[in-house]
Amino acid sequence: MSDADAFSALNTIHDAPGSPDSPATGPGRTLAGDAWETLRSSWIFWGSLVLIGVLVVMAIFPGLFTSVDPASCQAARARISPSSSAWFGYDVQGCDIYARTIYGARASIVVGTIATLTAMLIGGGIGVYAGFYGGIIDTLLSRITDIFFSIPVLLGSIIILTSIPTPSGSAIFSILKVSAALAVLGWTHTARVARSSVIQVKQADFVSASRALGASRTWMIRKHILPNAIAPVIVITTISLGSYIGAEATLSYLGIGLQPPVISWGIAINDAAAYVRSTPHMLFFPAIFLSLTVLAFISLGDVVREALDPKAM
Amino acid sequence: MVSAEITRRPTDKESLLQVKGLVKHFPLRRGIVIKRQIGAVQAVDGVDLEVYPGETLGVVGESGCGKSTLARLLVGLEKPTAGAVTVLGRDLIGARGAGLKAFRRDVQMIFQDPYTSLNPRMTVGDIIGEPFEIHPDVVPKNKREARVRELMALVGLSPEHIDRYPHQFSGGQRQRIGIARGLALNPKLLICDEPVSALDVSVQAQVINLLQDLQHQLGISLIFIAHDLSVVRHIADRVAVMYLGRIVEIGDQELVYSNPQHPYTRALLSAVPVPDPTLRGMVGQIVLEGDPPSPADPPSGCRFRTRCWKAQDVCAEVDPQLRDLAGVQAACHFPGP
Amino acid sequence: MAEIDPTAPLLQVRDLNVLFRTRDGVAHAVNGVDLDLASGQTLAVLGESGSGKSVTAQAIMGILDMPPAEITSGTIKFRGQDLLTMPEKVRRTYRAQKISMVFQDALSALNPVYQVGFQIGELFTVHRGMSRKEAKEKSIELMDRVRIPAARSRVNDYPHQFSGGMRQRIMIAMAIALDPDIIIADEPTTALDVTVQAQIMELLAEMREQTGSGLILITHDLGVVAEVADRISVMYAGRVVEHGTAEEVFAKPAHPYTRGLLDSMPKLIGEGSRLYAIPGLPPSLTNVPPGCPFAPRCPRAVDVCRHDPPPPEIELWSQRTSACHFAEEVLTHGVR
Repeated sequence: MSDADAFSALNTIHDAPGSPDSPATGPGRTLAGDAWETLRSSWIFWGSLVLIGVLVVMAIFPGLFTSVDPASCQAARARISPSSSAWFGYDVQGCDIYARTIYGARASIVVGTIATLTAMLIGGGIGVYAGFYGGIIDTLLSRITDIFFSIPVLLGSIIILTSIPTPSGSAIFSILKVSAALAVLGWTHTARVARSSVIQVKQADFVSASRALGASRTWMIRKHILPNAIAPVIVITTISLGSYIGAEATLSYLGIGLQPPVISWGIAINDAAAYVRSTPHMLFFPAIFLSLTVLAFISLGDVVREALDPKAM
Repeated sequence: MVSAEITRRPTDKESLLQVKGLVKHFPLRRGIVIKRQIGAVQAVDGVDLEVYPGETLGVVGESGCGKSTLARLLVGLEKPTAGAVTVLGRDLIGARGAGLKAFRRDVQMIFQDPYTSLNPRMTVGDIIGEPFEIHPDVVPKNKREARVRELMALVGLSPEHIDRYPHQFSGGQRQRIGIARGLALNPKLLICDEPVSALDVSVQAQVINLLQDLQHQLGISLIFIAHDLSVVRHIADRVAVMYLGRIVEIGDQELVYSNPQHPYTRALLSAVPVPDPTLRGMVGQIVLEGDPPSPADPPSGCRFRTRCWKAQDVCAEVDPQLRDLAGVQAACHFPGP
Repeated sequence: MAEIDPTAPLLQVRDLNVLFRTRDGVAHAVNGVDLDLASGQTLAVLGESGSGKSVTAQAIMGILDMPPAEITSGTIKFRGQDLLTMPEKVRRTYRAQKISMVFQDALSALNPVYQVGFQIGELFTVHRGMSRKEAKEKSIELMDRVRIPAARSRVNDYPHQFSGGMRQRIMIAMAIALDPDIIIADEPTTALDVTVQAQIMELLAEMREQTGSGLILITHDLGVVAEVADRISVMYAGRVVEHGTAEEVFAKPAHPYTRGLLDSMPKLIGEGSRLYAIPGLPPSLTNVPPGCPFAPRCPRAVDVCRHDPPPPEIELWSQRTSACHFAEEVLTHGVR
């Protein structure tokens, strides 16, 4: 068959280089690289990143934003509305709200970060372990997760926080206590996500291939499971940051979270709540900052999740 | 069918792989904390086979017949419920540690789905090089990259692409990467689990030709698992037909295809659409009634009897065993046309 | 509803162009496709992945996601009425009633939380205004027609309780429910075992004969095409490269791609050794090379093939075309 000959002459074992090859040829394009391409062009990404950047700087160097001492309060200035000398006005004790709002960023972000990292380590570890080993270990760890999951966050925090006394005046202890309480109750979300992510990756053929090659369990977890299972965990971590900050504010508002002399938005909101109808500015500004911070983190998490979503090629 | 001209009069000493009475039942459990076993999916239920050096054994069957489970058992990804598997005289079942690792070097697998069989976060070079990191004594560290490039060229990939990621390749190319990985440790037996089922027709031909060429070049044996009978015909020396966890017919490919003894083989062959419109309606097609039974609840006696047009009482009572019939082996009380 | 001209051809697609806006650029999925379908006829649209056959089918059905898809030009005339210029309301009445579709994967095409009888019956309650009870009776009737055993007792079962082949029968039942003029089957048997495939193809052929409707079969399986198709349109990289009757195309293909496809197909009969494989890969749809899209892989390609304009559809005789500069030669002498 001459046709067959014609074709087999071309049928060398090699794909001719330069043949109509895979699209977008070039140096290795990682999935992370692809994600970056998506993120780079998203204004939500840049917007939330900038906002978070500003807030982080605010937390580390509050002095850059205001020269006023947030602790210098004069009763005579109580509840004065915003003016050119005090942009956000004064609160019920006569403290500069602008200064307190700026300084408040630190507590909120520190608590949020510590709580999130702790939760990620505990939850991630438990989730990966349960997902990978399966069987009785999975059953045991999942039931433990369920138990913690069913504890109402607010109620649980109240119990934890009220039963551990804070040496008065110790800001660090207060911050750590609140972070710990939130992490202890919040790790379950991360654990669930990590577990299901690991279970899903575990079933992929490339993991079986590695096993068929004789890989040890540690090798498989390190090289195959973790890199592929981590994306959803990163997403939930970024989103949780926002909700931990909100939770801290709630606890501080209720009076059981951070205690003075720590300055936090939650405390500011608590102080201002009673006067919302007469002098709303006291509530307005800390509340806005809180909302914007939570929004920034959640948006970032959302947009990162979409970018990391492997798209069909 | 040109293959390495080995005399096909093997004795037990010559066989590369020997499987006897292989069984794999997956227990069905129910319960929340304490699970009880309420039954079992009899995925593989008593399989005997042998594979000789340099030959290709095709394993055909439809979904649920157990061929994929068989593949996983042979490569050590599943532990059998019963039975024995011997490779080059060494027992697989009891193997541990160093013995198991040695086995891994002799038997490797190629997976069906080119999109899930490669770690999307590893470069091609890392994927093909992974076997060398798990078995560091096979290739010294400084020679590994060269060897990876060699393997890439061997399977028809451009070695310049060593730093690319799987998603930058097409399905057919990804399968080639999988084949390169499977060959890295110089195995004696390569188990191909439906390697071309997920590929387009024109790419299928490329990969099938590649596997054939590699077999001739390297002298390896292949177990080629597929549901497509026409594909198996082009590559297999011998063919085994599976139904519901058992082999119902096994023998020389030409004999099985030209004179099938088991009714299921007949039905399978007749169901393959004939690519010639002028023959439409002329090929007596056997259309099987109904669905295959569930492997968790196989019929008594001969498992095929519920869909077999020849079924008699004896088929429900006595389970037919494989016996020599017209040059092949078939398990049927009423074999032949 | 607009007037339907009973003398106009059942379906006529002319110069259909569909593109997709993706992150990597614009993918030209369908490039100037013409198709014809007459009543009672089975047209097979044959092509591999990336050929644009599914997109064409979806465009005819009107179920493309737009964006990211965009139909940039072309007409799809159903008995003389252009579906693309119709108002959406009218177009919607055509779906299921005049043109229906059988999808590849019945498990994802059927709603898992509704009973099968309900899903089939929905067609009657929505489009024919029947009561639930009447619709249920109709469902049972249809399930009988597609030979689902014990239809009356299974009408209340859920999709996952059926096997793959049975689910496909349910999809076919839904497709023929309202007596459509055209049934489009998009790879209806690809996900099925060979023995079940045979059953389903037999069923489709029977249904088509019973209802006298036209069948468009989208597939890459040459064997299936040979069994049921009257006419074949071969697609490659978004273009139709060959039109003809099934006998004509199989016996004497007039395009190098079709020739290559036929040669590379594993067969049960004939020589049983080395397969002939078309070298290389199909072009990426975002980066189609100039000239003939098949040129980089064609043993017959010469300079003219690699430059624009791409080869026109050469009419060899009535309703037999090939988009190759050397169509006549390929037809008579094969690919040299």
